[in-house]
Amino acid sequence: MLAKVTSFALIGLDGVPVEVEADINRGMTAYELVGLPDAAVKESRERINSAIRNSRLHFPVNRVTVNLAPADIKKEGSHYDLPIAMAILKASEQLGDASTDGYVMLGEMALDGLIRPVSGVLPVLISAKKRGFTRFIIPFANANEAAYIEGIEAYALKSLTEAVSLVTGAAQFSPVQSRSFASALKSASYGTDLSLVKGQAVAKRALEIAVAGGHNLLLSGPPGAGKTMLARCIPTIMPDLTFEEALEITQILSVAGELSEEGIVSLRPFRTPHHTATTASLCGGNVRIRPGEISKAHKGVLFLDELPEYTRSALESLRQPLEDKVITVTRAGGAVTFPADFMMCASMNPCPCGNYGSAYRECTCTPAQIRRYRAKISGPLLDRIDLQVEVDSVKYDELAADEGGETSAEVKKRVERARAIQRERFGGPYTNANMGEKQIKKYCRLSAECEDILRGAFERLSLSARARSRIIKVARTIADLDFSAEIRPEHILEATSYRNFDIKQ
Amino acid sequence: MMEYTQRESDIIVADSLEGLTYKHKRAFLCALDEKQSEHIKCEQILIKSLGGGVYNKLRTLFRDGDYRRGVLGALEERGIVCVTLKSTLYPERLAQIPAPPLVLYCNGNARLLSGDCFAVVGSRRTSAATLAACKKISGELATKLTVVTGIADGADSAAIRGALDSGNIICVLPGGIDHIYPSSNSQLLKEVEKRGLIISEWPPHTPVARYMFTVRNRIIAGLSRGVLVVSAPKKSGALITAGYAADYGREVFAFPHSLGVASGEGSNELIKNGAALCQNVLDILGSFGLEYKTEVQKFTPQEEAVLSFLRANGKSHIQAIAAAAGIKSFQAVTVLSSLEIKGLVVRCGGNLYEPL
Repeated sequence: MLAKVTSFALIGLDGVPVEVEADINRGMTAYELVGLPDAAVKESRERINSAIRNSRLHFPVNRVTVNLAPADIKKEGSHYDLPIAMAILKASEQLGDASTDGYVMLGEMALDGLIRPVSGVLPVLISAKKRGFTRFIIPFANANEAAYIEGIEAYALKSLTEAVSLVTGAAQFSPVQSRSFASALKSASYGTDLSLVKGQAVAKRALEIAVAGGHNLLLSGPPGAGKTMLARCIPTIMPDLTFEEALEITQILSVAGELSEEGIVSLRPFRTPHHTATTASLCGGNVRIRPGEISKAHKGVLFLDELPEYTRSALESLRQPLEDKVITVTRAGGAVTFPADFMMCASMNPCPCGNYGSAYRECTCTPAQIRRYRAKISGPLLDRIDLQVEVDSVKYDELAADEGGETSAEVKKRVERARAIQRERFGGPYTNANMGEKQIKKYCRLSAECEDILRGAFERLSLSARARSRIIKVARTIADLDFSAEIRPEHILEATSYRNFDIKQ
Repeated sequence: MMEYTQRESDIIVADSLEGLTYKHKRAFLCALDEKQSEHIKCEQILIKSLGGGVYNKLRTLFRDGDYRRGVLGALEERGIVCVTLKSTLYPERLAQIPAPPLVLYCNGNARLLSGDCFAVVGSRRTSAATLAACKKISGELATKLTVVTGIADGADSAAIRGALDSGNIICVLPGGIDHIYPSSNSQLLKEVEKRGLIISEWPPHTPVARYMFTVRNRIIAGLSRGVLVVSAPKKSGALITAGYAADYGREVFAFPHSLGVASGEGSNELIKNGAALCQNVLDILGSFGLEYKTEVQKFTPQEEAVLSFLRANGKSHIQAIAAAAGIKSFQAVTVLSSLEIKGLVVRCGGNLYEPL
């Protein structure tokens, strides 16, 4: 007899329906699996065999043929175990006249018949819902991924026996209860706060400007100055995630198999790839095309500690996604596009010995050494970093007074107001950092006085020409934080001070 | 075609001969000039040290018309003007030193050579504040004098940048004009070529060797009426230049430095040994009887407060400055940025600022 069960294959974040067909014929005992399965799918035979037997059911002792259609898509992962097992049971007439139609099944089998969690459940649920599927059988451990999607009936089951009972109607199961995103958001905490960082008034201000205008940020300072601590505070002052953003991030992490138990991401990601990271690990790739660090940092922060230590090719690969906000990974298996709308925050020492600008130690580097060190970061990449700020090396206790540590929540309020101004200006979720030359001309008219200041700055400070539009964009954001419709002299002046690396040595 | 007199072209051709030292070249010119009384003695010296064969070869080459046209034509093509010891443009001060260069290969405005020159020299490793001060004083000096310096990173580059706008700048290269060292400064040097002057005592193709730096320093000192040492560690090329200047009877000035700053030990030592302490451009121009009018700048009350705090306390952190001026840090950023553009404060990294 022939049986069909529906499952899904994932291509990037897109789900494609896969028909799992099982046919049992008379003949020598055999098990044939066709339809471009990868190693993990091929091995399913042994798992399914044991799982069925250990669930007190029978594995047919005839010729079993399983086909995964369409046959031209590569089937990867272990989530086909459950649909294959169910198809075999149906084909061997162990399910009676119960129908498996209308169910989408996902799950890996354990030898004892339990269903193990799999990766990529959420993107499958979303794509399947779009295609009109509403009933799902998913592993119990993945239940939370289904909790935030409305209009579906997802059954999170623990074992093959339960799946059989559900399909045959032998037992009643209630679908996963839907939950509101707001409650998840409320309970989430980053575990750090801007008020915990002492001193660093300039860097904190730069953080606020960077987040408000969506600018990328470079922190430079001696070792131990607190660059990482500051960077970790960036997500805490970013606007709260919207449900759509949260779903996007969750899908990416689900495919990568890095989703935590909550089932949905309610915090902005903060990714810190080590500087030995390869281009593939940053941008995505591998034999199975998986999202890279930049996609996992989608809607959050990609923190590159010790920027000059990264390989040149890895850094250059960031340039295109920084512009386009997506990354298309092309491999032998095909091309896949992942979202990659992240804020880049990099940190570095000011010079090879690390003491340049230190209040305590003298820098022993020659200008040529410092130049060589800084030249490791290419001009085009630096062009995409609007703010370059120095982190204090002075001990907090030695400073006369502190301006009272503001909490992240207070800063976040100002950031959200500035973002609201930008949304109105651009008519969409765009930020000042995304402005092109045309928009700069349109939205950043400079008064004669501002032009004078800018010209003076260029002459006196020997700024490179590429710094100009960067300064204007940052000045626009500072003006937005100040509720000022036009860019005033003080905004330009402040913006010129966040450009350490543009000064010719 | 650049016109040279017979005597001038003789010197240029003699200078182009390979394998001759400075002393040889002088003797060679003397030996071939039969009007000179010691020409036979010079000839004998050359034959003794080079060998008769080599000497004869060089003499034939020297008298070969094709070779001569080739040497002069190549220089012409390259746009290099040669100012020889016998040229009217040759600076008088330089001619007075022992072993003056036979030929100055010039690229740029050669008329600067006849002006009143003043050398600004210093170390490659110089603090940001000293560099800014160097740039500033070099710009101010260039309004009255021609600034002479090298092309290294640090103080030399700062001096060039300060004087570049006025065009009163001469860079003395250690090697031939075709060999820029360090090559990272070649862009800056192109600017100097356009607005000021680059000179070298070596034929253009001569690569840089270590000893040439010291030899070059005698030209910097020799050209100048005085030398300002901006910064110098204990062992420094700038000190060598100052030593030459003292030997030639030129005035030596030095910037004072704080205790414990390695890049200032040499210049402090100079002051101890009698060099004039220089705090601003008036110290230098005043000693030459020149006047300099400083512009009166206007400040906002906040700028006033920040400046007076910085002048009282020296290098300070932005948060300390903000607290003293009674403003928030990000407002202090604005004020300091404005003062920086006006050339009154310098940022030294790590959010520290220093007054000028």
